[in-house]
Amino acid sequence: MSRSGRTGLLALVAILLVLPLPLTPNLVNAAIKMMIAGLFALSFSLAMGQAGMLSFGHSAYYGLGAFATLHLMKAVEGHLVAWPTPLLPLAGAAVGLFFGLVFGWLATQRTGVYFAMVTLALAELLFTLAPTWNSVFGGESGISTMRMNSWAIDFATDTGVYYLTLAWVALSTWCLWAFTRTPMGRLALAVRENEHRVRFLGFNTHGARTVIFAISTMFTGVAGALLAIANEATNYTIFSAQASANVVLQTFIGGAGTFFGPALGAAIMTFFARVTSDLTRSWLLYQGLVFVLVMLFVPDGIGGLISLHARRLRATAVRHLTLPYLLCLVVGLLLLAGVVFTVESVHVVLSDAYAVLRRGNGGALVPYTLFGRKFDPVSPWTWAIPVGSIAAGAALLPLARRLTRRGWSQALLETTA
Amino acid sequence: MEFLVVSVLNGVVHGLLLFMVSAGLTLIFGMMGVLNFAHAWFYMLGAYVGFTLSRTVGFWAGLIAAPIIAGAGGMLVERYMLRRVHKYGHAHELLLTFGLAFIIEEVIKLFYGDFPVNYAMPPYMKFSAFTIYDTNYPFYRLFMGIVALAMFAVLYVVLTRTRVGIIVRAATYRPVMVEALGHNLPMVFMGVFAAGAALAGLAGAVAGAFFPTGPNMAVDFGTLVFVVVVVGGLGSLEGALVASLMIGLFISFSVGFNWSLSDVLGLVGLGDWARGVGGLLTLQLSTIAASMPFLLMLLVLLIRPAGLFGDRQ
Amino acid sequence: MRKFWVALALAGAGCWATGTAEAEPVKIAIIETLSGGQAAVGKMFLTAINYGLIKLNNEKVWPDGIKVLEYDNQGGPSEAADKMKAAINDGAHIIIQGASSAIGGQITDDVRKHNLRNPGKEIIYFNVGAEAMEFTGSRCHFYHFRWNGNAEIRLRALLTAMKDANALGKKVYVIGQNYSWGHDVQRLVKEYSAFGGYTVVGDVIHDVNKIQDFAPYVAKIKEANPDTVITGNWSSDLLLLMKAAGDSGLKVRFGTYWMDQPGNVANAGATAIGHYNVSSYYPEANGTATAQFADDFKAKMGQYPVFVQGHTVHGIWGLGEALKKMKPGPDGKVNVKQLALAMETVSFNTSMGEVAMRKEDHQVLLPLVVATVSKEAKYKVDGTDMGFKPVRLVSGKDAASPVQSTCKMERPGS
Repeated sequence: MSRSGRTGLLALVAILLVLPLPLTPNLVNAAIKMMIAGLFALSFSLAMGQAGMLSFGHSAYYGLGAFATLHLMKAVEGHLVAWPTPLLPLAGAAVGLFFGLVFGWLATQRTGVYFAMVTLALAELLFTLAPTWNSVFGGESGISTMRMNSWAIDFATDTGVYYLTLAWVALSTWCLWAFTRTPMGRLALAVRENEHRVRFLGFNTHGARTVIFAISTMFTGVAGALLAIANEATNYTIFSAQASANVVLQTFIGGAGTFFGPALGAAIMTFFARVTSDLTRSWLLYQGLVFVLVMLFVPDGIGGLISLHARRLRATAVRHLTLPYLLCLVVGLLLLAGVVFTVESVHVVLSDAYAVLRRGNGGALVPYTLFGRKFDPVSPWTWAIPVGSIAAGAALLPLARRLTRRGWSQALLETTA
Repeated sequence: MEFLVVSVLNGVVHGLLLFMVSAGLTLIFGMMGVLNFAHAWFYMLGAYVGFTLSRTVGFWAGLIAAPIIAGAGGMLVERYMLRRVHKYGHAHELLLTFGLAFIIEEVIKLFYGDFPVNYAMPPYMKFSAFTIYDTNYPFYRLFMGIVALAMFAVLYVVLTRTRVGIIVRAATYRPVMVEALGHNLPMVFMGVFAAGAALAGLAGAVAGAFFPTGPNMAVDFGTLVFVVVVVGGLGSLEGALVASLMIGLFISFSVGFNWSLSDVLGLVGLGDWARGVGGLLTLQLSTIAASMPFLLMLLVLLIRPAGLFGDRQ
Repeated sequence: MRKFWVALALAGAGCWATGTAEAEPVKIAIIETLSGGQAAVGKMFLTAINYGLIKLNNEKVWPDGIKVLEYDNQGGPSEAADKMKAAINDGAHIIIQGASSAIGGQITDDVRKHNLRNPGKEIIYFNVGAEAMEFTGSRCHFYHFRWNGNAEIRLRALLTAMKDANALGKKVYVIGQNYSWGHDVQRLVKEYSAFGGYTVVGDVIHDVNKIQDFAPYVAKIKEANPDTVITGNWSSDLLLLMKAAGDSGLKVRFGTYWMDQPGNVANAGATAIGHYNVSSYYPEANGTATAQFADDFKAKMGQYPVFVQGHTVHGIWGLGEALKKMKPGPDGKVNVKQLALAMETVSFNTSMGEVAMRKEDHQVLLPLVVATVSKEAKYKVDGTDMGFKPVRLVSGKDAASPVQSTCKMERPGS
């Protein structure tokens, strides 16, 4: 890794170590969830990004890891077994590895889209069977238990859980990264590029893919275990196709081609969901828009974008891009403001509360409240805001693109000069 | 005997409904390799268009407008979104359609609310076609079956007997060659996608009057459609029909059976032990009837991934 | 100049003497499903809670008012747990939730664990919708209060009314969804066969929200030839079942729990007429009293109260009653333990009758009304020409089910 990459990493670790101190328990919990999502995405990306195996049912191993850990925690709580809390994720890892080997052996007999469908089928089967098997999966309300303190560390508060999660996520990330440096990791890349050739070189590709898949699911199991420790409960909805699809999306938004991209995507989208779900009722619409826009315009993901800059430009050359990017940001904000205003206005105008207001005024279209101000739905000025905003953004877009292109060529010129 | 006849009838009609919804997807998937996750959402769009028009203009206007609007939507999606993303691979296409599904659902919810809406068939269609063993069979079910069969017939004729159909089928196997022969391949793709979406829209308009039309209607169908397409064979129309019928009949019959693994084990004397263990072994077939298609999909994928009728690996 | 300092000193002394009442509003956190598949139901709870709070704020039951915080649990237990931590961070004293038993299960356990780990900073879980038996059974705890019904009390009311109206018959079939709720209802229908004077001629469980075509299940029901079919199904499972039954001309009476979910009657159409439903409120249940409630609700919130909104409003009023019995502590703060103690003995009158909280398991004794879908109802639903015509009002005490033996509530040492 380059020197700047290494310093960046050290800085990140340092920040993560001291993060709980200034934050409220609520935000510490958010950080824990973001780290777990990041680990889930990183483990998924091992199968996907490295080995080209698009798995659509990774939530199965996430859930299995969580349930296994919860059962172990229950045993500890009931004094049947003495198992230190910090070592609980090992249960998740073991279960993830086991099922990864079994299901992976089945699934890796096929490639490409068929592989994805097999993993989807396996996960869906688990999802439909889990609520019926009450002794293992606890039915609708799932399994619930309590963390026990261990090794003189207090796990009753979120801070203890945070450091436990941080330790395991760091360890798993290092393992995953180290894996890419091993011959097997390199083999994964080769299998992705040209499986036929690898087979003719004498490797057992089916076995290799199974092992790689199992290692990926092992760390997914660890992520599931960490979720179980953080939430102290889970139920069968963890197996849903929604959860599987979420991790795929997070990986691609972050950038499947880079190592840290998926973790970044997972952290951002988890945070995004958490924040916007309380700000607006239409947050799923915005999330869908983010998915579509990222897929269309940033196919390498955010991580890919960052990596593009890091790889091709020298640090000083970036200054050519500050102005164009600033303009791009302005354009983006204008377009966003227009869209958000329209969506939220429609939402308010079609709501029941507004209907009450209208009835109180004899059915007239009275002004509605949005963002703390009043807007008149029939006045052209009201609609001038979003229309003007979007028009301004659209008008500035060609300029922004031109400037960006020019900035890039200048920056590249400086770098290669 | 009664159980047999009624189950067959129910199964066939349910299967035909499934075919109606998945016909479009098998074309798109087989032809373009695009796993259009949003397919069931075009279905939902069609249902809501049908609902809107049935309240203002008329039921039949809805049936005509729904495929047109869904098809137009499909055309726009293919031209401006999928075509851009195509070069990045299958995963990107799939995720794009996934995001699209969210957008369609949320926009519909924004305008129509969160509750199911009252999309009803016209009163003159609300009668029972015949009575069999004391059970009435609603005419509208037959109507849906007829529409599904008509869809199949039209598609089959177009694909096998017309020039357009030949080009489309050729493009499935040798797209580059077709383009080299001078055909406008991107237009063909766009047409296929639009046709697929239009079929889903028509299915929505027809089925939505019978089944509840609400924000959750797409999610309920979403994954089952994939099962049909995979089991039938990607790109094969006959395969989709046979697979839909199979699944419809299977679900229909398995509801009637209270068998579980413990009953099977009982045949070899391990019944009581199995019942004592509980859990999966005492799970009755009727309880998990709707989950069986996934098992079927799994088996097909492992044994014969090309599906029943597909021959494209 | 000296006068100024004297005045200041006196003012200061005066302030200090009246006590530094750094008072605190009661903070209620609504952690509800406001997006995604179940959003419709979640939003109904929200509307009802806001309506209930209007009365509380008008009567000033708490000197510093009641503050409402809204959180979207995104439909998942894990996210609900996150939002609960956010709510605790924002100082919430009470968590309200109703739209899902799974999420309710997560919240009730998290509340219990939080209270164990943070004595002195307890919070209350105000359950307005989770109806699984275990909440006042194996999962009961002191800081959980259930203001809605459960599978058993609703069944008691339904059976009582149907039996009295001679609509129950002697043969009953039960069909349900394959999870704890469906299993609860199935078990209870079998247990209550003596109470209702019927035999259970068959039962079947099916996948939740996966079946599109209920015709095969209708065929099964027909084979068993029951008089009545009882089902705890909700949403599309209920709707499709009824449509399939209506289409095939199956002549049975349905006894349901959730027919009044908005959209069901509209979609079922004439098929729904004549079937029985048990609910916590209907506008015509109790003459002018309930009608007035309906009209006032409509005036303020834009729609007539439906489905779960009746008992939710009553639950909020119950909170008001508990708050009336208390005063802010010397530091002006809300003493949640005292609030819980006050809440568990609350009893007050509503348009539906007396609503009282039971101390032993914190299950509310909820008056219920059983009605049939009929064109003769005055208040129509779903924009159709049908409504729910009450058949019988069952008081809270009559509907009440015995305290479950699995509830071992640990009371705090007062």
